[in-house]
Amino acid sequence: MASPGGPRPGNLPPSFIPNSLANNMQNLQINQPNQPQSNNPTGGVSRPPNTTPFGQQPPPFAGSRPGPPPHSAFARGPVPPSPSGPPQTTLSPNVAPVRPAGPPPGSQPPTPFVSRPLPPGSLPSSMGGATVSLASGSSPQLGPGPHHGPFVSSPPMSGPAAPPPVRTSGPLSNGPPGITPAQFQAGPRFPPVMGSTPRPPPIAAPQPATMLSSGSSSQRPQLRPNFGGPPASASLATTHPGPSSAPPQNMLPPPAPSPFSAPIQSVPRPSGSPYGMQTWMSQQQQVAPPPPVSGLQPPRMFGMPRTLPNQSLAPTSPALFHTGAAGTAQSKVDPSHIPRPIPSSVVILHETRQGNQANPPPPATSDYIVKDTGNCSPRFMRCTINQIPCTVDLLSTSAMQLALLVQPLALPHPSEEPIQVVDFGESGPVRCSRCKGYINPFMKFIDQGRSFICNLCGFTDETPRDYHCNLGPDGRRRDADERPELCRGTVEFVASKEYMVRDPMPAVYFFLIDVSTNAIQTGATAAACSAINQVIADLPEGPRTAVGIATFDSNIHFYNLKRALQQPLMLIVPDIQDVYTPLESDVIVQLSECRQHLELLLESIPTMFQNNRIGDSAFGAAIKAAYLAMKSTGGKLLVFQSVLPSIGIGSLSAREAEGRSNISAGEKEANKLLQPADKTLKTMAIEFAEYQVCVDLFITTQTYVDIASISVIPRTTGGRVYYYYPFTALSDPAKLYNDLRWNVTRPQGFEAVMRVRCSQGIQVQDYSGNFCKRIPTDVDLPAIDCDKTIMVTLKHDDKLQDGSECAFQCALLYTTVYGQRRIRVSTLSLPCTTMLSNLFRSADLDTQFACILKQVTGEVPSTPLPQVAEQAKNLCINILHSYRKFCATATASGQLILPEALKLLPLYTLALLKSCGLRGDGRIDDRSSWINYVSHLSTPLAIPLVYPRMIAIHNLDEKELDSSLIPETVPLSSEHITDEGIYLLENGEDCLICVGNSVNPDILHQLFGISSVEEISSQFVLQQYDNPLSKKLNGIINEIRRQRCSYLRLKLCRKGDPSGTTFLSYMVEDKTPSGLSYVEFLIHIHQHIQRKMP
Amino acid sequence: MTEFLDLEFQDSVRMPWNVLPGTKSDAANCVIPISAIYTPLKSLPSTTPLLPYSPLRCRNCRSVINPFAIVDFSSVNKIWICSFCLQRNFFPPHYQSISDQNLPAELFPQYTTIEYETTATNEKAQVGSSNIFLFVVDTCVIEEELGFMKSALLQVLGMVPENCLIGLITFGTYIQVHELGFAQIPKVHVFKGSKEVTKDQVLEQMGFFAKRPRPTTGVIAGVRDGLSQESIARFLLPASDCEFVLNSILEELQKDPWPVPSDQRAARCTGTALSVAAHLLGVCVPGSGARILAFLGGPSTEGPGAIASKNLSEPMRSHKDLDKDSAPHYHKAVKFYEELSKQLVHQGHVLDVFACALDQVGVAELKVAVEKTGGLVVLAESFGHSVFKESLRRVFQSGDHDLGLSSNGIFEISCSKDIKIQGIIGPCASLEKKGPLCSETVIGQGNTTAWKLCGLDQTTSLCLIFDIVKKDSSDAIAQSANNQFYFQFLTYYQHGSGHMRLRATTLSRRWIAGPGSKEDLISGFDQEAAAAVMARQVSFKMENEAEFDPIRWLDKSLIHICSRFGEYQKDTPSSFTLSPRFSIFPQFMFNLRRSQFVQVFNNSPDETAHFRMILNRENVANSVVMIQPSMISYSFHSGPEPALLDVSSIAADRILLLDSYFTVVIFHGSTIAQWRKAGYHEQPEHQAFTQLLQAPRDDADAIIRERFPVPRLVICDQHGSQARFLLAKLNPSATYNSDIPAVPGGDILFTDDVSFEVFLDHLQRLAVQ
Repeated sequence: MASPGGPRPGNLPPSFIPNSLANNMQNLQINQPNQPQSNNPTGGVSRPPNTTPFGQQPPPFAGSRPGPPPHSAFARGPVPPSPSGPPQTTLSPNVAPVRPAGPPPGSQPPTPFVSRPLPPGSLPSSMGGATVSLASGSSPQLGPGPHHGPFVSSPPMSGPAAPPPVRTSGPLSNGPPGITPAQFQAGPRFPPVMGSTPRPPPIAAPQPATMLSSGSSSQRPQLRPNFGGPPASASLATTHPGPSSAPPQNMLPPPAPSPFSAPIQSVPRPSGSPYGMQTWMSQQQQVAPPPPVSGLQPPRMFGMPRTLPNQSLAPTSPALFHTGAAGTAQSKVDPSHIPRPIPSSVVILHETRQGNQANPPPPATSDYIVKDTGNCSPRFMRCTINQIPCTVDLLSTSAMQLALLVQPLALPHPSEEPIQVVDFGESGPVRCSRCKGYINPFMKFIDQGRSFICNLCGFTDETPRDYHCNLGPDGRRRDADERPELCRGTVEFVASKEYMVRDPMPAVYFFLIDVSTNAIQTGATAAACSAINQVIADLPEGPRTAVGIATFDSNIHFYNLKRALQQPLMLIVPDIQDVYTPLESDVIVQLSECRQHLELLLESIPTMFQNNRIGDSAFGAAIKAAYLAMKSTGGKLLVFQSVLPSIGIGSLSAREAEGRSNISAGEKEANKLLQPADKTLKTMAIEFAEYQVCVDLFITTQTYVDIASISVIPRTTGGRVYYYYPFTALSDPAKLYNDLRWNVTRPQGFEAVMRVRCSQGIQVQDYSGNFCKRIPTDVDLPAIDCDKTIMVTLKHDDKLQDGSECAFQCALLYTTVYGQRRIRVSTLSLPCTTMLSNLFRSADLDTQFACILKQVTGEVPSTPLPQVAEQAKNLCINILHSYRKFCATATASGQLILPEALKLLPLYTLALLKSCGLRGDGRIDDRSSWINYVSHLSTPLAIPLVYPRMIAIHNLDEKELDSSLIPETVPLSSEHITDEGIYLLENGEDCLICVGNSVNPDILHQLFGISSVEEISSQFVLQQYDNPLSKKLNGIINEIRRQRCSYLRLKLCRKGDPSGTTFLSYMVEDKTPSGLSYVEFLIHIHQHIQRKMP
Repeated sequence: MTEFLDLEFQDSVRMPWNVLPGTKSDAANCVIPISAIYTPLKSLPSTTPLLPYSPLRCRNCRSVINPFAIVDFSSVNKIWICSFCLQRNFFPPHYQSISDQNLPAELFPQYTTIEYETTATNEKAQVGSSNIFLFVVDTCVIEEELGFMKSALLQVLGMVPENCLIGLITFGTYIQVHELGFAQIPKVHVFKGSKEVTKDQVLEQMGFFAKRPRPTTGVIAGVRDGLSQESIARFLLPASDCEFVLNSILEELQKDPWPVPSDQRAARCTGTALSVAAHLLGVCVPGSGARILAFLGGPSTEGPGAIASKNLSEPMRSHKDLDKDSAPHYHKAVKFYEELSKQLVHQGHVLDVFACALDQVGVAELKVAVEKTGGLVVLAESFGHSVFKESLRRVFQSGDHDLGLSSNGIFEISCSKDIKIQGIIGPCASLEKKGPLCSETVIGQGNTTAWKLCGLDQTTSLCLIFDIVKKDSSDAIAQSANNQFYFQFLTYYQHGSGHMRLRATTLSRRWIAGPGSKEDLISGFDQEAAAAVMARQVSFKMENEAEFDPIRWLDKSLIHICSRFGEYQKDTPSSFTLSPRFSIFPQFMFNLRRSQFVQVFNNSPDETAHFRMILNRENVANSVVMIQPSMISYSFHSGPEPALLDVSSIAADRILLLDSYFTVVIFHGSTIAQWRKAGYHEQPEHQAFTQLLQAPRDDADAIIRERFPVPRLVICDQHGSQARFLLAKLNPSATYNSDIPAVPGGDILFTDDVSFEVFLDHLQRLAVQ
């Protein structure tokens, strides 16, 4: 597609572009009605260009979506011009082919956004708080305008500003939903989309925020959060007092609004500016550059509108409640007023820097479009605090963590400009000769450009002769704006010879399938073969793609796929103590040479082994053998495993059962079961990593498989565990296929090495995530993909200069699936501060919580559970205490005051304590799997994991006109669940649909094709029936899939069943035998804080 | 001579001494041991019946009734007296009708060798009724060789009888056991070559117990002991069932894919592959006649049984290295193959080796396994060479030149009590059945009276060496009363038809003792058999005795024998004469000294091992050809006539046909060669010349057709480079430094070797001292 707008930067194609992915997708997808791409280009008018690419929305999906027409109308307008254009056009070679989630075919703008009707609301939102009224900007999103109205009202204020523009962004963001042709039924398109998720991130703002008036009665609130408005407001008011004089510093505040916003479109802003107080949150304003549009959604932090304009000060909106008598405290809290996340679906335009200042990023969970103006996109790297404390004391006083969450290949929003590729030729990229930092926009050129000062180590380097350029009057190089590496936070350098120890490796995919009795009989083998068979078509094209396949039970069976005349040859490796690969070559063959053999083989494997009576599984030996086969190149090893590895190298015992039979030992050492049984697999994994073999495990089981032990392999090699428990041949194959497809088609790289460098004064303390670390400074990633996140904890080793900036640079050297060696360099430069209040104001809740989640989870296997819980709680308490003590001194001691930015921390902490991993009562494998999932989890997915999104789906009809595809969320409290309702709850992996016992049979029939609750079976396959309700449900689920880049395991739950219990266990706000209710928890925390206060 | 041939015709046996020295000291003086070269399965005269019943055995010594037994028809119960132990045995009831005029065949005097076929022994017929062939194929060869090998194998597969079971193992760096019985896709089990595989591992790892649990106790062996027929049928299938699969596998067979650095030898795990093959057969079909046919294209370099290092800079071991004990892999490899041979013998399976490479492949090390199991060995330069192709075909060929492959033989000896058995030099393995008949001195496979012959065929010939234990000959009376020694050779074997047979050969030889015995001994001397025995002995000693000097030993023996049996006046060389019975023996010894068996340094250890293995399994006539080639000359002057094995036989207008057993050389004199090059033989008017050229070809073909392994045919011209095959065998009566000028059209040899005349001079001189 032609790129309309695209000023294509370098000659080089950008490293990968979402849109192009989408394009590819179109070709691949079968079912999808192909929308003519032609539309897109023209796009200007009718359809936002970006959407087109993804065009492939699954039909069902499309159909259901009512909204599009209207919205699009206005939405589009702005869009076209928007930067989005360029991205699509470029087809960079290395683009990851398919973005799984293909949103709807071009015609419809991605549902979510578009659908939103709210015209007016949208813009205003940006101002968020503006209106005195409580409503924060969030409102716009929800379709059902009326109800929300109350607090939603906010829209008005903004109203004037830019009406439609906001929307526009919306459409862009969506990723294309539908992933591939759904295999079985239309329904399931897998929407993994790019990161932008409109959803959950709570938008704090709306609510009067967090305060709880103590006085209120104890009644359990219904969920009317929305309405909450009124009361809330009252309370809120108090909060502001914002003792925190701390007012944000300088930069932003006063001028704040204007400066930033100014750059581009003033349009929306006008009114807003006054309020600008939130300046620090500059994000809101971002403007989409080209188009005037700016979707500003106030992220939750903004919430505190009330202070209005001026306030730069009130960065935080504390919520407080008075504790009366300690004992009675809870009764005074009005549950409906306590802070809860309010998702916003409005797309935010975010410029990473404005006015030479770092712009705090929008919430990770919101939907935003980034314009890289010097700092890297927050998708790639975000810091727990958006201002860096100058001293270690300041940091420790705040009790917050200083860490980066790095997701180097994160999926961009389709409307974002592609990352530019810079080729320095033979000499390679310009680097600091001392610290080896890469050239970036913050390197300061001096002496007529003859030398430059490294922003990381401070060393003055000579400019290479052929890189020399004179400086302009502003002190910048004259060519700064033409050179991406001097004006963009993220660029990709073409790696020169010195970055290669060998030729870039080919894309090698090796599939290893369990064919032991159990796997065959449960249908796992057939599911795996079928999934692989379908995925073959999605593997990168070209001569550099090679595949191999092996099956195993108590032996390992390789297949020689390179045979001129005949069928593949099965090669059995019988020695599972000392394994080897049976052939030097021909076990892994170029895809183009063996496609037919491979398909034939995959079709015949299930029948070939159908009478297999071997129950043993030589998992360890099999992966070792496969590794040996791949050793010369490295590559991805995708393992489908169904039972506990029982023989051969690395065999395991059913220690869970042993633990159960021996209660006392089990109790004492409960967490032992979460640790690997021995070191064998770890040793193997390190060896794999050394040879660039990445292992992904697809565990399709109905029994204990000791994930704690076997997960060591994927964790060390940059892979992950996919867990299907209990596996059912009815519903899981679709997910298996979609997971596999996303796994191979998402943007990814091989044989990667990553290092984060920091400015002097800060250094990296540790990395955590799925990788192998051989030397302290680098992490080795046999494979890295867009979903993998690495947490980098930081520490001070010196003081920073107040007023200076501190830079972080993440360099990822990797090989694309097409065999180019690249260095992706993301640089983030943040201001330093000496003010504690600034720290609280610039705290990034999502990132902080993701860090806490990862850290706490990391402790679970090695520390007794109560201690872990205590630690998690303390992390929260200490932060709040610090804030209470130093930044909210003026408030009455009886009030619980929460920093606005972190007001949801208690809720999330509570949710964390009740999460699967921290509950002692779950299955060991479930917990291990959860722990593993967390280890590589990205920031946007961290919160839904513990605080899932719940929506009501029995009344979808009533919201016909709503613009948002996804209905408003329901707080996770059983009080909000009625017996007449059907609720859908999803956390990014699982999706539970709970059916009340008194649901209208008609609705049941429409949605599930059943006539009574009794017919519900836990094996659920989503089907689309010919009625609006069902179509809507499918639409919603597809949208969620798209947002989460995950197909979701759907389960039907019914109250009274075990499945219903599972569902209830997600109601984190409820009081449970082992846990406090949300209100109680707040009181609990409040008490702790008070106790700590002098 | 003819009487010896007649004896051989009847009993398949040749003995150097057909009149035996009667005492230990006499025997020692005879130099050449009391011995016999026996061909157990030599085809019998067509008149000899096959007896469809079990033989009668002596209830004391278990020897079989024979024409030498004394039968007492008179007594009521009819009694026979065992000629070995003199035990009186009753005939069983069904023999009651015998009488002087009504003898069973085994008592006919002319049937001293007779065969019994017992139907009762056929219980194993289902499984092992027919032969089992397990092909073990080396894939570490260049494409071209692989192509030759494939086509040879494919051709042979068509010839395998339908009811034979076939299995296939290919190997290179790894070993691939092909599961021929898996219908869906071709399937192989791959073993690592660098590591020894145990039988238990084979059992465990190849899925023999996938369908039914392994018995907790007992030895697992074949269908009768714990395995299902089904699991065995995965690997060993009737030829008719797997022909298609096998064909397709062979067609797709590829060169071993592991890369070989240019400075290294291919990683080839012959040892492990053979061991896996042995395990597989041991697990599936122990006790049934099965052959492992190994096709080797190079030296084993990987795993146990490696004979060379991978590094090309380290040359392959030579005789010199072996002599100096500087072949680092040799002893380990030999030890490994010894173990393998024990296993194979225990299982009753045969190892045949087809070694086709320009370089050595390790036949020297493998020799022990091949020889003890009675396997065949074929050595050629290439799988494309006719030596290999024809030989392989012969193995499976039925009809005129059927090898008569049989299996699972057990060979037992009984003999008179004054004789003991030292051992056997030949393709067999001791069953370690010790008894009073075992001599204290042991040679070859000794210390037993029973041997296993896993594989044997019509030409397999054993050299049995005996010992006379009678101390003195003073008892002249006893001598006259009982001057016969009896020998009985029993061969129990599985005939190619699948039936079990017993062949019994009973011999009687007169013995003589005392001073007057010389003439009698001379009259019973078979010099050809003696030469064959000497050749086997000297080969055996060279291999097994450290510091053994074969030339010296042969010379001493010859001198000793000449001075013992020659006629001369002391210290007068010119008076020396030998009886006609001995007349060509010195010549045999002269040629033996120069033969490949003794002069090993011209050959690689592999070749030597090959020569000796064949020597050790061939009969006397063939052995003599190996020792002293035969030569026929063709010319216009006369019909084909034997020519002297001497350089003087070369003439420009002659064609010589030399049969040195391993090589058949047709040598055209220079004139003949010129004529041929001028194309005269294509002109009708020179038909005589055409015939002259054709005659030796026809004779050579006849030789080649009958012989296994197929000899190499060399056609050469005088002064051509290939002529060396002929020249090397000729007596150097005219050399470059001899006084006599070469006859015109003749030739001279460039050698310092002594000529036969000189040799004889020295012999005479020394013999008379």
